[in-house]
Amino acid sequence: MSTTIERDPRLTVAQERFRDDVRSMLAEDRVRRAVDDVAVYRPDQEAAHLDVYRWLGARGWLAPGWPVEYGGLGLGPVESAIVTEEMALAGVPDDVHVLSVDIVGSFLLLEGTEEQRRRHLPAIARGERIATVLFTEPDCGSDLSALTTRAEPDGDGWRLYGSKIFNMKSRFGDVALCAARTTDSGVGMHGITLFLLPLRSAGVHIEPVPSMANDRFDLVVIDGVRVTRADVVGRVDDGWRSINDLLQLERTGIDFHAKARRLLDLVIRRAAQTGRLDDPAYALPLAELDARLTAGRALSWQMVQNLAEARPDPVASAMAKWYVTEQFRPILHTAMEVDGLDGALSAWDADAPGLGRLEAQYRLGPVHRLASGTSEVMLYLIATNGLGLL
Amino acid sequence: MTVTSIAPETVRSDPERTRRRAEELFDPDLSPVLRRLGQRPRGAADAATLHPDDAAARADVADMLVELGFLAAGEAGPAVADLVEVAELIGSALYQSPFLDTVTAADLLAADPRYDALRTEIAAGERTVALAWREDGRGEPHHPAPLRLDAAGRTVTGVRRFVAFAPDVDLLLVVGRAGVEDRLVLIAPDAPGVRLRRQDDIGRGDLYEVTFDAAAVAAPGSGPAGERYPQALARARIRHAAYLAGLASGAIELSAQRLRDRTAFGRPLASMQALAFRLAALAAETTAVLAFAREAAQRADRGADVRLAGAQAAFLAADVARTASAEAVHLHGASGMTEGCDAQVFYRRAAVDASWLGTPTGLRIEAARLLAAGYAAEKRD
Ligand SMILES: Cc1cc2nc3c(=O)[nH]c(=O)nc-3n(C[C@H](O)[C@H](O)[C@H](O)COP(=O)(O)OP(=O)(O)OC[C@H]3O[C@@H](n4cnc5c(N)ncnc54)[C@H](O)[C@@H]3O)c2cc1C
Repeated sequence: MSTTIERDPRLTVAQERFRDDVRSMLAEDRVRRAVDDVAVYRPDQEAAHLDVYRWLGARGWLAPGWPVEYGGLGLGPVESAIVTEEMALAGVPDDVHVLSVDIVGSFLLLEGTEEQRRRHLPAIARGERIATVLFTEPDCGSDLSALTTRAEPDGDGWRLYGSKIFNMKSRFGDVALCAARTTDSGVGMHGITLFLLPLRSAGVHIEPVPSMANDRFDLVVIDGVRVTRADVVGRVDDGWRSINDLLQLERTGIDFHAKARRLLDLVIRRAAQTGRLDDPAYALPLAELDARLTAGRALSWQMVQNLAEARPDPVASAMAKWYVTEQFRPILHTAMEVDGLDGALSAWDADAPGLGRLEAQYRLGPVHRLASGTSEVMLYLIATNGLGLL
Repeated sequence: MTVTSIAPETVRSDPERTRRRAEELFDPDLSPVLRRLGQRPRGAADAATLHPDDAAARADVADMLVELGFLAAGEAGPAVADLVEVAELIGSALYQSPFLDTVTAADLLAADPRYDALRTEIAAGERTVALAWREDGRGEPHHPAPLRLDAAGRTVTGVRRFVAFAPDVDLLLVVGRAGVEDRLVLIAPDAPGVRLRRQDDIGRGDLYEVTFDAAAVAAPGSGPAGERYPQALARARIRHAAYLAGLASGAIELSAQRLRDRTAFGRPLASMQALAFRLAALAAETTAVLAFAREAAQRADRGADVRLAGAQAAFLAADVARTASAEAVHLHGASGMTEGCDAQVFYRRAAVDASWLGTPTGLRIEAARLLAAGYAAEKRD
């Protein structure tokens, strides 16, 4: 199968050309080799400073929506979505891209100072700097208003104390966007501030937390690191609002859809190779999942279009994220039907089909409904803001 | 549908007593330890060796299973109704061992009186057996893979994959199609011409590829799988369905505890209806599947044809085991993904165990065929 993604009537000719260019680059042998290398990494290795990011960065494609002076191409949300989609379809690991460009970069663009932008954005856009996100704590994930990392006043700045967990890539990162409590007002949502925390500081201790997925989480213990007003992103005590605004704005479902599509295409290809695609018992669920992903993509691209027209729709965005991520589980179960126990063999077994990608994806499967806002958070947004319930 | 009698006599059982005895072994305090026994590091491939403490603990539990008399056979072997109780508890503890395979092997071997002596040894806990029926992961046990026996039936050449505990058992029972019939062949795992390679699977357990290169067939030689085969497989599926229901209830119990312990938005997650109802629904499904397995077991012990029930119970149980274990990870949040959390152990095990005696799709195809055959027979009657 070549690809199930067809030309999109919503794209301009220039945008189509942009997609073609990105796609051709990602189809180059060096990229395919890099992606295959990651699939067969030793158990103690994980993707971080990949050359692919630098190759994309050299053309301004890692952050095409950013202004030229910050390393982008001055294009818009459509081109950003094209890069995200093509990277995921090509199997390029995207955690670093999501964290550094989509989250930290976007925060800095929207709320950062000029100095912060100049210091970090060009290096991030070149694929040379990794910026990570330190929101979640051992005792709070879904409910960030309960966060307890403290920013204690210290002269003209603060000292940060606390533990952040389940963040990704901090071991490889240079800087992190860290949420900490500057004011204890008794109202959880008030008094949270976002800081740029240098990760390679004496008071930052980072320890991997092994996960069943290939990439490990990190536990970051912050022990008295000093930060100043120059490190504050946005306004002091206003972090809660900016976290919610920005995460909703960035949510389109494009990245999740493309990962699900790559996975489903892999399963369909396996079904074709093994002859099972001719058997309705296997073909019917695959046809159903194909339909669902086509629907999910249509909804996700609608969200991109909304952003391009500066008409974001947080409820529909939540629907897009929820809808596409709900498809991972049935896709993975169907994969195990198509390949049977062969699908359970890992990359570290010579017999594993497709470099053990199915098995790795199976282990990764549950994260899609958890990361970037859990399914329940999405349903809450839809039920409350969308339907006036609860 | 007409119920055909397969075994002439009813097998006596006492499931309640069996359960009480098995609960002494698989008590809730011990289960978290049993769950982790024998887990190899990720990617250890065939370099993985079992920690001696794990091996010893596993062996202790295996001995207990024998001492409690769960392998002890009457004429027709241990009652399925008793063993579903044991299997359910094994599933909730995720205890991995050759026990259930050995039970099935004894049932299969009852097809031929030449194996009676071996069955007596199995019943006494003196011999363990691993089943070897797949050439690759797509193979379904109701269609055993081809087998090459030499003309005299003395040696076997070929390969079997996904053979559990191959190096640890006394014998491999290879099931395969030779010519027009399915045959049973016993081979010692350490016989000349047998090569074992540990497979690196998502469950990180004890699955092996076994290659036979003119490997000698063990005494008393190969025998026909016969008409007993589909029924013995169905009985194995009923036990396995109970195992999977146990796996699901273990995952549900773990998640319920997490919801009680974890607070978000100022109250325990357990107080949130959306989450509590999901576990409640899974508990209801699991209970229904277990009831199905128990009833099918009683019918099997009365000599009924349980092929359809075996396939159906197994795919329903596989579905709920996969879903409950995936929910367990989800309800634990990101911590459910961590190596330290048992939710992911349930999830990874369910990925393998759901297809152990046939993929759910393969089982559905088989069930549909049996259903159609049953109705066709009814029409003729
Ligand atoms: C792959 C991955 C990458 C991540 N990367 C980062 C990162 O880089 N930086 C970072 O800071 N964090 C990161 N996280 C953490 C992520 O943000 C949290 O996992 C998420 O916010 C959920 O929090 P939790 O895991 O503590 O689950 P909990 O909040 O404990 O929730 C447990 C379960 O209960 C549900 N739940 C919670 N509250 C309710 C409610 N009111 N109603 C109904 N259901 C509810 C949740 O949806 C979840 O299923 C990552 C997580 C994953 C899985």
